[in-house]
Amino acid sequence: MQQMKNLTVEEKNQLKLERLQSTLNRAYKSVPFHRNRFIEKCMLPENIVSLSDIERLPFMNRSHLGLHYPYGLFAVPLRDIVRIHTAPGTGTNPSISGYTKTDLMIWQKLVARSLEAAGVTSMDILQINLPPGLANWGRDYKDGAENMGASVIPNSPLSLAKTLMVLRDYKTTTLVTTLAFAEQLMEHMFENERNPNEFNLKRIVLVGEPVGVEQIKNLEEHLHVDVWLNYGLSEIPGPAIAFECLHHCGMHINDDHILPEIIDPVTREVVPPGQTGELVLTTLSARAFPLIRFRTGDMARFTYNPCECGSSLITMDWLAERADTMMIISGIKISREQVIIYLKDALEASHPRCKLEKIRHGGTEILSISLVIDDSLFSDEIKNLEKLMVSTSERLAELTGVPVKITLTEKKD
Amino acid sequence: MLRIKNLKCGYGRIMAIQGVSLSVRQGELISIIGANGSGKSTLLLAICGLLKTWDGEILFKDNDLKGMSPQSIVRQGISMVPEGRQIFAPLSVMDNLKMGGYTMYRKGLKKQVEQDLETIMDMFPILRERQNQLAGTLSGGEQQMLAIGRALMARPSLLVLDEPSMGLAPKIVEMIFATIQGLRQEGVTILLVEQNARAALKIADRGYVLETGKMVLQGSAEELLVDDDVKRAYLGKDYGNFYDGRD
Ligand SMILES: Nc1ncnc2c1ncn2[C@@H]1O[C@H](COP(=O)(O)OP(=O)(O)OP(=O)(O)O)[C@@H](O)[C@H]1O
Ligand SMILES: [Mg+2]
Ligand SMILES: [Zn+2]
Repeated sequence: MQQMKNLTVEEKNQLKLERLQSTLNRAYKSVPFHRNRFIEKCMLPENIVSLSDIERLPFMNRSHLGLHYPYGLFAVPLRDIVRIHTAPGTGTNPSISGYTKTDLMIWQKLVARSLEAAGVTSMDILQINLPPGLANWGRDYKDGAENMGASVIPNSPLSLAKTLMVLRDYKTTTLVTTLAFAEQLMEHMFENERNPNEFNLKRIVLVGEPVGVEQIKNLEEHLHVDVWLNYGLSEIPGPAIAFECLHHCGMHINDDHILPEIIDPVTREVVPPGQTGELVLTTLSARAFPLIRFRTGDMARFTYNPCECGSSLITMDWLAERADTMMIISGIKISREQVIIYLKDALEASHPRCKLEKIRHGGTEILSISLVIDDSLFSDEIKNLEKLMVSTSERLAELTGVPVKITLTEKKD
Repeated sequence: MLRIKNLKCGYGRIMAIQGVSLSVRQGELISIIGANGSGKSTLLLAICGLLKTWDGEILFKDNDLKGMSPQSIVRQGISMVPEGRQIFAPLSVMDNLKMGGYTMYRKGLKKQVEQDLETIMDMFPILRERQNQLAGTLSGGEQQMLAIGRALMARPSLLVLDEPSMGLAPKIVEMIFATIQGLRQEGVTILLVEQNARAALKIADRGYVLETGKMVLQGSAEELLVDDDVKRAYLGKDYGNFYDGRD
């Protein structure tokens, strides 16, 4: 699919301005939240006359998504919505996003674009292996790959052995997965002295978190594959916001549909070109769920060297650090605050002392919580306490979308 | 080819167009759809220099159209087929067509005008048949063909059409749309305003949706044709009252 390749810079900017303006018109017209924010600034959508005018608008962040639970940020009536996605959110409510038919159509094209850039064609067999918390992305990759005519093995929860069997017997050429699973695959093959050439696997598309050069090289060497990174948001609006092309010159952002900015997370000002900061995204074509200056918490920097692939899409480096305190577990963003609020509630403890960590168990990443037993907890019977821990970790796993393990530790004075 | 940014214009205190951006690239067929009174004709009038003043920017082939007379805009290569056709009823079909070639004629390109007359009468045989008849005696469909023929006589690189299907029988509408599509295939860039949204989107590359002077949606024709909002408002489908929204 064309990535605005044959457009001049002026034509491209014109297109983005047009889309931005109609997005703002729709948001103003249909979403009280957005309208009120314009009114608070004594502004109208028509005051945004250039792309950089977007800096005059306020930011959105994850907490807004929960506050307007469930449908408060939708810009079309429910009858126009054909799909509803749920993500954990950061507070007591999950965040919900919706898609119209047209939205899904555009997402399919964007996913197809990112897969094509990784060399996937209609001849490929594409297998999706993502944790339950990223099931939304699984569907998007399936739709996008089907749309371009590839054979898709959709995401379904299988054991490692079964997954490997499918990978080998079905002659999978392309695997869409997380770093954790890809590394587990690599370790498993290494331990079992399996030759990667038994497989037809040509490439791995990694999603969910920034991955270092060393880790990628390691995977490529041991699995005899090419590795491609895709950037997405797990809550909204989808998995293929940015992607690597054949030249691996950073990540191309689909900025004809999603307008990126980079801001200083402290001053909230747009940083000078090329500097590092927090990635802020504005949707340009989304009908159902417009985002206006959404703070992702992800750190990035724009790179300005033109790519050999000829794409005129903006390119960024996706960096490992974060602008917020969220943890990424198997590609899923977890809010520490949300977990602690939940623990407070469940344990009836006003200040639970705990440490949250990401640990890896096989190909699965786990949210590990070590909880300090204090007097209030200790007064309980051990049996009850165990029960409480089991039920709490189950509920937390449901809330966050990742497995949770709670361990109790002694109070150290 | 045509690039409009933040256009604002109207009639006295009525702001009919409130900050519209729109673009047409070489070779494209672009449809603008919108309800009655949404400002479609006003937008076209501004492009063609028929409104005295407007705010914003209209560039055609990188030339600023601000302050240009309607005639010089025609010379730049923009021809309009206005709403309601506006042919000269008391003149013959032939004279109407010749009027369209006036700018060419003035440039001393008499030969080409003759040639274009032939081409257009080949395209619309009915006009050849009726060349000596008074234009006012033509049927609605024939008048529309005459209006298009007249606009083409200026050899426009951008042809602007304001509701060419208005008031015509379905069969004739079909023919007019086939003609427009044919022109596009010959390389004429087209900006088409239509009430008949489905037909207009079907032949378009991209479309824009205008609502009370503001652009609220745009996209490929394919995307707009499946959009529920567009369907409801412009494609004449009624979905009844389902549970309608938030809270
Ligand atoms: N000559 C005029 N004087 C004053 N107001 C006008 C004039 N022409 C149009 N308007 C107003 O400007 C607004 C836009 O009108 P316009 O004719 O551009 O709409 P349109 O989209 O072309 O509608 P239609 O589908 O009926 O042709 C309307 O509110 C209309 O009443
Ligand atoms: Mg009109
Ligand atoms: Zn590239």
